[in-house]
Amino acid sequence: MANLLGSTHIETLAREESVRGVLVRMALEQAEQADREELVQLEKALKLLLSRFQALEDGAP
Amino acid sequence: MILRSIELENFGKFRGQTVEFRRGMNLVIGPNEAGKSTLAEAVPAVLFGSDHLEKFRPWGRNACSAALFFEGHGRTIQVKRNLVTDEVELVEKDDLYHVLSQFSGKVPLRGRSATSREYRDLLESLLGVSDEGLFRATYFFGHHPQEWSGDELAQKLRTLVSGTAETDYAEILDRLLEEHFALTRSNPWGRDKQRDREYENLCQQLVQQSGTEAVPVFVELDNTAELAGQIEELTVELESDRQEYAKGLRYVERLRRQAEEISGPHAPEGSSPSPSQSPSRPQPPANAGTLADQLVVAGLPQNPPRELPELLSEAADIRQQLATLQQPYAALGSREKHVLKVPWLMLFSLVAALLVVVALAWWQDFQLLWIAIAAAACSGTLMGWGGWRHVARKKTLAECDKERSRLDQKKQAAQQRQADLSERCEILGLPSSAIDLVRLQKQVAAHRDLLANYWGEEGATAVEVSVSKDHGDTESVATDAPGAPDASVEAGEELVQLETRMTEFEAELRHKEDRLQELRRQLAEAPAEQSRQAVTPASVLLVRKHDLEERIAVLRKAVNLLAEAVDEFGRSHLVRLNDEAGKLFGKITSGRYAALKLDGDMTPSIQVDSRRWMSFEHFSRGTVDAIYLALRIALAKVRNDGRSLPLMLDDPFVHLDQKRLATALNLVDLAAADGQLILFSHNVELGKRAARERWHVVPLDGDSVVASSEEGGEHAGQLHLL
Repeated sequence: MANLLGSTHIETLAREESVRGVLVRMALEQAEQADREELVQLEKALKLLLSRFQALEDGAP
Repeated sequence: MILRSIELENFGKFRGQTVEFRRGMNLVIGPNEAGKSTLAEAVPAVLFGSDHLEKFRPWGRNACSAALFFEGHGRTIQVKRNLVTDEVELVEKDDLYHVLSQFSGKVPLRGRSATSREYRDLLESLLGVSDEGLFRATYFFGHHPQEWSGDELAQKLRTLVSGTAETDYAEILDRLLEEHFALTRSNPWGRDKQRDREYENLCQQLVQQSGTEAVPVFVELDNTAELAGQIEELTVELESDRQEYAKGLRYVERLRRQAEEISGPHAPEGSSPSPSQSPSRPQPPANAGTLADQLVVAGLPQNPPRELPELLSEAADIRQQLATLQQPYAALGSREKHVLKVPWLMLFSLVAALLVVVALAWWQDFQLLWIAIAAAACSGTLMGWGGWRHVARKKTLAECDKERSRLDQKKQAAQQRQADLSERCEILGLPSSAIDLVRLQKQVAAHRDLLANYWGEEGATAVEVSVSKDHGDTESVATDAPGAPDASVEAGEELVQLETRMTEFEAELRHKEDRLQELRRQLAEAPAEQSRQAVTPASVLLVRKHDLEERIAVLRKAVNLLAEAVDEFGRSHLVRLNDEAGKLFGKITSGRYAALKLDGDMTPSIQVDSRRWMSFEHFSRGTVDAIYLALRIALAKVRNDGRSLPLMLDDPFVHLDQKRLATALNLVDLAAADGQLILFSHNVELGKRAARERWHVVPLDGDSVVASSEEGGEHAGQLHLL
């Protein structure tokens, strides 16, 4: 489940100077502090958001 | 970094042509259908790929490719793409033509492979952009509305800072909130918390079903559902049978041992009862020491009171009583809901109309008397029907009230029993809540199972356990097991009978197992869609509830994450964006306005004097265009520090009149001063301006690039289209 947060796609998005980029950077910061359950939820939330931001083909959790 | 040229080998209507660009202002000019938009689209199509191959592939050919050449900071970057195969070649060279980096591979538009990621990472490091949406949002300027009205400009700016070409982060946030509000009334955002939503309705349904939850009811009784039902029944039956069989085996074994003991010579040495043991009291086996540990694991409190079984039984009874009441309550609510009110207003209106008819008929002519009589009769009937319905409604409601008070009494009685039980539990030092009592009941059941396994004689022996304080944590176990058979003959006969029954039982068990296998095979061959229907409604509701809870949690997390990101973006980027845009806007307006700023929802305001800021809506169209352009250029700078690609304007001023066009061109001229700007237009007037301002001009006719103009004044002949 923790594939998205560790992907290079996310690393690339995190370098963007946009709301989307800031969003990904914050998610990565939160992921460092999260336990396993929170991590799964965070990844699902990020997938959902990135699909809305057209950064993922299918992000519905 | 500037775009030096585009090589179009087979791209749209271009074949084997090269279009060159210069630093500063470039004008690509030509009539409609000359290929301006195709040329503009070549840039993102080569960099990222395209979903619209048919739009760019030359008619009748199976080839479509183009290449881009970028230049700047002592480097050249060439990106070439075959749009049919999505094969990409990227080469970065220094001034001495040494290759600094290169890439070759297949990279479709939305490719997720390692190759695609490698290419995008390289693009990000070289050009500062790796996403088509972000590229368009940053560098592309299309036609924008004649007038920015209301929230349009702020919305456009929100879209641009979102990082995509079409999505506004505030819209995403609103949609997520709407989705959350549609699922549950419980929300931390303080909106519409009164009305029950899907989640609350589902919970109520579950509560109503709790009385019948244990009984499986199949939604669809088609073949598949029947099969599933049979499997379920057979599985339960088999499980129970297997347990019985195991118990039977243990009992037979015990009988056999007793028979051997009675027969004397066959009894093993040391297996006879010791003098200290009662014959009816079996000796604890050798592993008795571990039993105490296992019982502790079962979770029963130490030294439980003797009243515990009675209390637990009463608690179960009260729970059952309360659960049983749910259904009549629901039925009563439904009945009350379906009692219709009498439509008095409509009735009185009808009767009034009929009475008017009566009066008119009576007054006009006595020959119309029958009409008056008929109308009067109708009025009477209607009023009679209304009265009857009213009485019936009153009666039904009274019955409902009576039934409700009866149910309330029952409920109160059950609650009173529950309160009494809690009090008794508290006196005995036991937990008193319903949940704790259920847990305790499970622990007692586990305790009993342990003891039954321990003695291996469940069903034949009633076991009672008490924990004696005098013996610390050790259990003294008393059984009222029947005594061993008095004679070996009796024991032998019983043993034979039991063994025969066990053999029959075993055969029956095997038959059932075979049947179960057969049913499972049939179910596996049945269509999957049908088999999924064979579930209990309660299970469906529980699954749905779980899904909803998960969805709600994810939505809540997503909303919070996005809201925090928007705040953070405001703190970290807006100051610089305002600063950059303000400087450019000051230049455009020749210092008339000192500063420009965006508020939290990206609505621009302009500083009109040292203390006053005014919203953009108070300014002229030309000023608003200047604000927009200044912000777009500033955004490109903020996004790609030092690596800016050319700004590409595809006829953005098509709606402007001459005066506004002149103002807008002053703006783009300023914007081009720091880098490169490519303006695509069909407006012939721009050609004159291009000649005057020494822009680089690329004229297109209907079929091809005509010629590229040189910087300087030699524009004669190059603007033949004009």
